Amino acid sequence: MTDCGCDKAKAELEEYLHNELAKADAADVAEHMANCVDCTTEHQVGIVLTAAVQRACKEKAPEELRAEVLLKLREIQATH
Amino acid sequence: MTMTAPVTGVEAVIDDGRFTGESIAQELHSLLMTTDATEEPTPTAEAPVAPAKRVISADTRALFEDQALQYMDQLYAAAMRMTRNPADAADLVQETFVKAYQAFGQFTQGTNLKAWLYRIQTNTFINNYRKNQRNPYQGTIDELEDWQLGNAESVTQSTSTRSAEAEAIDHLPDSAVKDALQSIPEDFRLAVYFADVEGFSYQEIADIMKTPVGTVMSRLHRGRRMLRDMLADYARDRGISSAPAATGSKK
Repeated sequence: MTDCGCDKAKAELEEYLHNELAKADAADVAEHMANCVDCTTEHQVGIVLTAAVQRACKEKAPEELRAEVLLKLREIQATH
Repeated sequence: MTMTAPVTGVEAVIDDGRFTGESIAQELHSLLMTTDATEEPTPTAEAPVAPAKRVISADTRALFEDQALQYMDQLYAAAMRMTRNPADAADLVQETFVKAYQAFGQFTQGTNLKAWLYRIQTNTFINNYRKNQRNPYQGTIDELEDWQLGNAESVTQSTSTRSAEAEAIDHLPDSAVKDALQSIPEDFRLAVYFADVEGFSYQEIADIMKTPVGTVMSRLHRGRRMLRDMLADYARDRGISSAPAATGSKK
């Protein structure tokens, strides 16, 4: 196996992170990262960024909205 | 993120003790038959526009409530990314559920309900809300070059700068991340939301946003790049990052 190098790894890191790479490509990137601190850290930034976005988007719908939607659905059904 | 298989809804119905196994089978069967009987093209391809003129039974309502309403929090979070204010977000979610409910007969059981709901919500947003918002560069944003967006990607960061960056992002308050997300262009913001929060595949995002996969990738990449730069700035301004001023990550 030959190392795919930083250029390929960096170019594909985002797809790697989102699980969009074909198996063989993902394996290449993983293999490269095993020996490259630089790309591993770059990948780490990607993971942390995703986690931060997930945390920031944990909204709960207001309770009134839930009640309103249920009411609306019943209304619609009643008119049919 | 959990992709809920349709079975879950049925189980929920059983748990409620509202139906016998047989009546569930009939309900599902009649739903599928209704779908088959309509002359519309593949119901999954397009979110419905006109309300279906079709009798909605109490059983269908129960099925819809069991299967679809569980996504309310997620749809609301997405609506907040779209409309950027709670009142419009609530209206958008309500409209989405009403449309989805009226078209539920066209939904193919066994396909991805969450993605179907998101298609309806995204369409509704684009048709009813987006045009009311001031967004001067909407529509042309994909054509802007990176330098016009203020982030040239000739980043030459050192490894230690990067690990400090990761560390800083990890410690930012949620409000800072949310503000940054709300400030990037809408198409980028939604691509990031769909991929990073909902875990949709690029193809699913392409279907929801009605755009080629290549465009999804570019929006995602640029959106994440902008977020990263903004968060690095934020961290540096607050002294959260122990790194030397993120060399090169700025224009």
